[in-house]
Amino acid sequence: MNSKINVMILVDVIGALSAGTLQGGNLCMMDDGDLASTGQGTPTLITNCLPGQLIKWSALAVDVQTPVAIKSIRFRSPDGGGDEGSGAGASGVSGSGYDANLDLEVWEGIVPAYLTPGTVYRYDVELQMYEGAASILHNTSPGLMRAM
Amino acid sequence: MAQQLAIIVMVDVSAAVKARTLQGNTYLLDNMKLQGSEGEGTGALVTAINGTHWVDGSMGDEQVLNWLPCALGSIPMTVPRNYHLHRSRQIEQDALTAIRDLGNSTPGRTNVSAELGRIHGSLGTKVRYRRPGGTGRAGHIALDVTGNPTGRAPSGASSAPDHPPLLITDIFGEAVERNVIFPAQYGSPDLVTDGWYWSASVDSTREGVYSYTMALEVHRPIEENGVWAWEPVRLTYQSRLRISNRPKRNAFTGAGVSFLPVPPPEPAAPAGTLDASTTSPSLF
Repeated sequence: MNSKINVMILVDVIGALSAGTLQGGNLCMMDDGDLASTGQGTPTLITNCLPGQLIKWSALAVDVQTPVAIKSIRFRSPDGGGDEGSGAGASGVSGSGYDANLDLEVWEGIVPAYLTPGTVYRYDVELQMYEGAASILHNTSPGLMRAM
Repeated sequence: MAQQLAIIVMVDVSAAVKARTLQGNTYLLDNMKLQGSEGEGTGALVTAINGTHWVDGSMGDEQVLNWLPCALGSIPMTVPRNYHLHRSRQIEQDALTAIRDLGNSTPGRTNVSAELGRIHGSLGTKVRYRRPGGTGRAGHIALDVTGNPTGRAPSGASSAPDHPPLLITDIFGEAVERNVIFPAQYGSPDLVTDGWYWSASVDSTREGVYSYTMALEVHRPIEENGVWAWEPVRLTYQSRLRISNRPKRNAFTGAGVSFLPVPPPEPAAPAGTLDASTTSPSLF
């Protein structure tokens, strides 16, 4: 088992901004975990993981001259409740809330042990593509699941 | 947002050729306004390059610069480069058709001399390229920005001729000499730049403001023994980069790595014995 799982978020920035959505082929996610993650290459990636593994998220633009960065990652309760995950990621300014330079942010953390095996913990990825009101789009489909 | 950086170098070529300088005739803009570039759209652009580093001091993000030159008021760069040749052939074909129609016209009902003059005028002026070894033998018709022939002479025509593509031929100066940027010309299948463009990787650990100079080749129309030609003119223009470098940090904590902020399960407190708010989940 790898101690680290990389989750890559690949974005067609021009397509996403033109359509105003990350759906319709404008975003795909994949990871390099070895626990049979599902939804590889789609917005609904479910990353299978185990407690203690380090998971790192990175965003990459299809067109290398278009900007995209992760603005926040917020975990939701597995029961679908409205409460979002605690932590600085919910600050709403930038990930750690210090300044707007998203290049400085490293989105990684350790899988806690209290995840219930077989339960999907969905999270909301907020992506920023340049600036302005229409520059931020969400993908609420991906999740983590503790492997059984 | 660590996208590749693009710097558009827009030049009013006609004015630059006339004044023999790019000063006051060059407009620069990049895609780093969000990250702090200053002077967008002016000749005094300062491109912001926000470098990052890890806790061990190593480079966090690679930064790549690309320069794309374009001439103000010219036929758009997206038009294929053989457009001038294609239009020249079409204009000549139209003239041949007009001559044939003139030959088939009813004698006495057409002012042949005037019509021939009109056809001759529709051919515009052919221009060649002048190089150190001499002037090219064949040329194409000088076109204006709408794709129509300019008048009888490119420099004195009623409509301005579309200049040959603006070229960057070198990038040098302080930032290069001090090994802050490492520029080179690259080839790609990109139709916009005809496959050639200047690019540079940046040592983003070198914080500070650095200047660099671009050498650009523009063309001026000259007349030589009754033949019009484009003569290359080499001009230079200086711009600046401002490099900053800051440490990476964990986005969830603002500091080092920790557990993911996944909402913990609701504690199942024994009835009446324990306040649920005092419990915390075990991490392992």
